[in-house]
Amino acid sequence: MADLLTWASDPARRRPLLRLLVAAQVLYVLGVAGAGYATTALGQHIVLATTPVDPRDLLYGDFVRLRYTISEAPLRQWHGEAPPKRRQGVFLLLAPGPDSLATAVGVYPNSPKAGPNQVVLRAWVTDVYRHSLALRFNLERYYVPEASGLRLEKAGRLHPLRVHVSIAPWGQARIARVEEVMVRK
Amino acid sequence: MSRKFLETESPGWVTDGLISEAQRQQLLARYPAEVPAVGLLPLLGSVLVGLSALSVVAANWQGLPAVLRLALLLGSLLGAYGAGTYFLRRGNADLGHGLIGLGLLVFGAAIILVSQLYQLVGYDVSGLLAWVVAGVALSYVYGSRLLVLLTVVIGAGVQTYCVQALGSFSYATAVLVAAGLGYYWWRRPEVVSSTVLSTGLLWQAGLLVLALHAKITWFFVPAMAIYAAGDWQARGNGARALQGPPLVAAYLFMFGLATFGETDAYADVLRPPLLPYLGALGAVFALSVAGKRALGRLNTLLDWLLLLPGFYLPGGLPLAVATLVVLYAHAGSVLARAHRNQDSDQLTVGAVLFVAATAVAYFKLTWAFLDKSLFFLLGGVLLLSLSWYLRRRNAQTLAAAPPAPPVATPDDAAPEPPASTHNS
Repeated sequence: MADLLTWASDPARRRPLLRLLVAAQVLYVLGVAGAGYATTALGQHIVLATTPVDPRDLLYGDFVRLRYTISEAPLRQWHGEAPPKRRQGVFLLLAPGPDSLATAVGVYPNSPKAGPNQVVLRAWVTDVYRHSLALRFNLERYYVPEASGLRLEKAGRLHPLRVHVSIAPWGQARIARVEEVMVRK
Repeated sequence: MSRKFLETESPGWVTDGLISEAQRQQLLARYPAEVPAVGLLPLLGSVLVGLSALSVVAANWQGLPAVLRLALLLGSLLGAYGAGTYFLRRGNADLGHGLIGLGLLVFGAAIILVSQLYQLVGYDVSGLLAWVVAGVALSYVYGSRLLVLLTVVIGAGVQTYCVQALGSFSYATAVLVAAGLGYYWWRRPEVVSSTVLSTGLLWQAGLLVLALHAKITWFFVPAMAIYAAGDWQARGNGARALQGPPLVAAYLFMFGLATFGETDAYADVLRPPLLPYLGALGAVFALSVAGKRALGRLNTLLDWLLLLPGFYLPGGLPLAVATLVVLYAHAGSVLARAHRNQDSDQLTVGAVLFVAATAVAYFKLTWAFLDKSLFFLLGGVLLLSLSWYLRRRNAQTLAAAPPAPPVATPDDAAPEPPASTHNS
């Protein structure tokens, strides 16, 4: 194989190569869908609460921007030897709190052993403040069906939303659904 | 030469005795009239039907069950690739490559839509990276200009998304495009693909500077690295086409510096630490010079005039004068080279550069002292006389050229961007 380009563009190889490429693309799309499906089917489920968001900040085209109560963790929950750095990948240990909402137990630089009822969620440090850490989970966007976006926006402004999240055994997390909390009068 | 041109002009040639009637018939037979484009109608029809189907699907997309959405996406993916190979086999290369390009676009759409369906798009760019990989691979297999163009655009789009929405630069995307298509360019330096690739890489370099919050002048280190790559390319056309966009960028920057640089307000965003910047740019310069020397192209060395870091000078008059001197010297170098090579396109480019430099000089250096009407009068006269002088010189150069000059006809020259015609 002296020259990759000559090798690849040889007309005799075109059809098998294209078949290979197309098969790879189909498998990739199926893989993305499979991963999404399996995360819900096999994963653990937690419920997170959002904090009320600035309504101007909430709706970006076809997705809603979410901010969670666990997006900010106090620095005393940090269990690493070195202080946390920005952009560092960390692990958040969650346990169900009152009202079955997940609450943060600790933030670890390496994956901690989860006790019964506890769940580990991948997170990334976005900012380190004096007494707290800002985290993101790649769960900050929820793609909503066209018409209902506005409804969620109004709901998010008035009171927190409840976000159902599935976490796959391999650590991938995704939003299963978002619901409004009924306000009790 | 078009058939229509031949049909209208050739009777005149016969009357003038240039060719005989028999020769006219031979010429006409040599360029047969194209088959009337009846084949276009079914194509247009199917495009319309396809569009209507697309609208129906798009309107009901949210209501469709997930499995059906997936099946629709994969079906159109397979359909586009299948139709592409079918038309390629029948010898219709344009349509075939177009449909394969459509397949590539559907692949990207499928990744995005499926990720949205399962709420997997957050900050994850690996899915889009697969799109770039597929584009590079298809470009290799088909060697089509369209696929290269699509891949460059997809790479730039993915990178834009990363920087804008995710706030981080995807080095993997940049490396994939630069290495994958760079190798393609190295083997097949076509003019159009080279310019497109160069522009796409410049776009990514700009995004890198943006994402790193670096001083904007750092942009010229990767930009000139692209330029230096051109110096090592043996085939001149592809080399100059790749070097065009970085040169245009450098020229525009120098021009902007000459026009707006006298206030010191911009200076802070332009000045990186002196030694690292000059070191990096110097390394690229050395690479470029080595390439020019190896391929005997040292006559293009003065392109580098545009990279003189004049922005380290204090703002105000010194900076204005220095940048103007550089602009004049650069225009002069282009004119001199064009004169030596007897290249009419280059003479035009050089003349335009010269006039532009003069306009800036006039505007910068005399505005404060002169009455406005006098300014316009003198400026107009200066530009007119300069253009007259340059045109005369241009004509003399061409008149002195040998009978069969190596000059491109205007038809060939027109589509090329000005700076990529700095042919040596």
